[in-house]
Amino acid sequence: MFCFDTLSLVFVFLILLGAIPNIFYSSGYLSHVDRKMHYIIHYFSFILSMIGVVISANALVFLFFWEIMSLTSWQLILTDTKDKNTLKAGRFYFVMTHFGFIFLLMFFIIVTDGNLEIGFDEMKNIASSFEYPTMLFFFLALGLLSKAGVVPLHVWLPYAHPSAPSPVSALMSGVMLKIAIYGMFRFLLDVLYPWPLEWGMLILTLGSISSLVGVLYALSEHDIKALLANHSIENIGIILIGFGMGMIFDTLGLETLSSFSFIASLFHTFNHMSFKSLLFMGAGSVLHQTGTKNIEKYGGLIKSMPVTALTFLLASISISALPPTNGFLSEWMIFQSMLSSSHIGDISLKLTIPFAIFSLAMTGGLAIACFVKAYGITFLGLHRSSNAKHAHEVNFLMKSGMLLMSLVIISLMLFTPFYIGWFDKIMVEFSRVSIYKEIFPTIWNMHSLGTAGGVVSPLILLIALVIITTLLMFAYRVSNKKIRFHNTWSCGYKTCARTQYTATGFAGPIRRFFSWLYNPDEHFNDSHYEVHVKPLFEQSLYDNIAKLSNSISYWVYRFAHFEKSRYSAMIFNLLLMVLFNYRVFINGFSWATFVLEFVVMAMSIKILIIGDRKK
Amino acid sequence: MIWYLLTLFILVAIAPLLLSFIKMFKMVLLFKKPISIFQGYRDFSKLMNKETIISYEASELTHYAPFLVLSPLLVVMLFLPPVVDVGFHVNFVDAFTITGLISLSTFFLMLLGLDSASSFGGMGSSREAFISALVEPAMILTIFSVSMIADNLSVAQASINLAHHFPKEHMASFLFAGISFFILLLAENGRIPVDNPETHLELTMVHEAMILDITGIYLAIIESASAIKFVIFSSLFVSLFLPFGFEYSPLIALTIFIAKLFLVAIFVALIEINMAKLRLFKVPNLLGLSIIFAFLSLITFYVLGA
Repeated sequence: MFCFDTLSLVFVFLILLGAIPNIFYSSGYLSHVDRKMHYIIHYFSFILSMIGVVISANALVFLFFWEIMSLTSWQLILTDTKDKNTLKAGRFYFVMTHFGFIFLLMFFIIVTDGNLEIGFDEMKNIASSFEYPTMLFFFLALGLLSKAGVVPLHVWLPYAHPSAPSPVSALMSGVMLKIAIYGMFRFLLDVLYPWPLEWGMLILTLGSISSLVGVLYALSEHDIKALLANHSIENIGIILIGFGMGMIFDTLGLETLSSFSFIASLFHTFNHMSFKSLLFMGAGSVLHQTGTKNIEKYGGLIKSMPVTALTFLLASISISALPPTNGFLSEWMIFQSMLSSSHIGDISLKLTIPFAIFSLAMTGGLAIACFVKAYGITFLGLHRSSNAKHAHEVNFLMKSGMLLMSLVIISLMLFTPFYIGWFDKIMVEFSRVSIYKEIFPTIWNMHSLGTAGGVVSPLILLIALVIITTLLMFAYRVSNKKIRFHNTWSCGYKTCARTQYTATGFAGPIRRFFSWLYNPDEHFNDSHYEVHVKPLFEQSLYDNIAKLSNSISYWVYRFAHFEKSRYSAMIFNLLLMVLFNYRVFINGFSWATFVLEFVVMAMSIKILIIGDRKK
Repeated sequence: MIWYLLTLFILVAIAPLLLSFIKMFKMVLLFKKPISIFQGYRDFSKLMNKETIISYEASELTHYAPFLVLSPLLVVMLFLPPVVDVGFHVNFVDAFTITGLISLSTFFLMLLGLDSASSFGGMGSSREAFISALVEPAMILTIFSVSMIADNLSVAQASINLAHHFPKEHMASFLFAGISFFILLLAENGRIPVDNPETHLELTMVHEAMILDITGIYLAIIESASAIKFVIFSSLFVSLFLPFGFEYSPLIALTIFIAKLFLVAIFVALIEINMAKLRLFKVPNLLGLSIIFAFLSLITFYVLGA
């Protein structure tokens, strides 16, 4: 019923690392919540259900906890129901998560052959004898990636996270998305194991697109929590780039490189958990104090909220993948795994990998821009509204939650070899060679596995940075310069909050450069410039699906006004269709019979249902 | 070890000299009365002795950020490729770490721009963020290509490999990578086609706008940081793309190296004389060119070398 192998234990550890600081933060946040009992019950059952998912050993238990996880998080989003947007977000999340659940269910029904209580080993045998493995892969991918928030199934994230209470967003983004990554590891490496090259390419492509789309929409956001939600899309994309590279290397028989990429993606999973949880907590503290989610209304909060500002800075540096933080180390590993693509023999494949490198590098650059914006506009400068002026530091429990999470970040930074060693054990459990010794010959240096690979030494880097900065500051203190305070020079005008650069202005050049993607809706009213960006995917994909289903329901309505003989004709056609589909499943697919059946169906629909068009 | 420390010392010491040399050389070419080549040191010592003015609006960050702008660049200096064939060099740091450290310095510089609540600072940070976001992919692709040509990702080892047995069969991709890297050198250091280091007109400035409210010793730190950044980029360019003169005796090798640095400075000055500054929204075209050259370099490497 439950299994405790290394993969499960690593993910249990991930959940605990994410949840324990969060419990502290949450208890500080509780005064802000109206329905306390509702919140507490769902909060704890949410954490327990996530642990349940990762330790389950058969499909039934997995699906049970998966569904509990979805439902409790859905209820947690609906904690504050006064806001109309919350209801909309809750509904959206509910639909998206059950969209994924249906595909997971179909996957499990096929791989368990109907008996949902068999273990994962038996599933592997059934899956390998199943005739259409790619269909299984698609079911799995749709099921898991809709939870992980990968383009084009990412649209619920920027709605759900801003509506949820901040500790819940931290848990959902930091931990719940990782459960989907756990599912990828569990079912791809184990159940569907020998995979064709195309699956890896698909995952790599989805990862690259998600990372770029996520960071670009994050840049155009003004809602701080929606900004962070978009960054989750980006980071899940980065994790999938690592995963996809691992799959590609594995198909090509480069086993150690493949293990390296999988380890990189696991490490980024951990890192994203740490810094994203901390960022959401920081955003929650700011939101708690100022009462607004609009980033343009903040400003100058570093003066009144130093602890929040400092921890947010640490997390921002880490998410921007700047050395010597943990975010840099995992992104370094993912870059290294992509640079090892020079070992691939197939030249056309070799030439496509640089495009993924390009998108990851671009993502890194844009993430820096985005977090300079998020940090600078929120915490630096002057207070942009009276809400920001009256903000204070948050209470002790919330502070301790944030500080504990910073400790998690620092531990990931300092004890990288320990974590990597653990991830290596997972790979060994999936019957691969241990590569820990090659990555870390000594604990000081971290090696890539490609022949022309690089080396990084996180600890030495950290020590060098600390020593040099301290020396510089010491020299400055000793020199004992005179300091005078004065107003900022602003061409003779008075410096005030409204002369500062806004978040909209900050993202201006990038928004203009990518205007083909953003298609921004700009308008001026009374010297106020407003710009609104509607996400492309939502506009083109989801709105059009809504339009399509509208027109379908119109036709269904039309059908409802048929006479009874046509109803029986429709039932006849439906039976025909079921029979034909059944035949495909039993006898396999062939184009000739498909065309024949299609013609038969079309004729019978035309003659029996539509009939002669009467004017 | 002694040569390592000596090189380090010389590189830090000539950092302001190189920038003043560019300025002087440009003035000579424009028939102006040139400034002294030691102007950089004079500015530095003058700024060191001034009092520091900090704005009321600025936060604690302004007290720390200048050091954090300089220190990553100083750390990079420790990891630069060796100049002489004998002795110690750091071989455990690869090019990603170096780009990461440079980005860390830029990150704090951009925050510093936003801290003083002035609209110039925000403007500069916003533009810098835009430019550096586009520099990043070109940088990484160029590094990738160079690391494959030189068969090592660690910059020190790569430069040694290139100097000892230059891969003539990869000349085409080597040249493409060189062009791409030179464009990046101009863009990252705010030289003319991208940014004008001499202007104080708000429409055009990028780097200067961010540090408009910084004075005294803090300004001295930031200015030396930008001088050191130029030295880092030009010595990387010199070691990776002009790999000759390395095998001579240490003193001659060092002299050749410094002469090459001045050669790069002359090139930069000539480009600055002959080009106008690009509009901000034309800069992506230039950086796009650099990205395309990096791609070309990779493609030629794979197609010709595989």
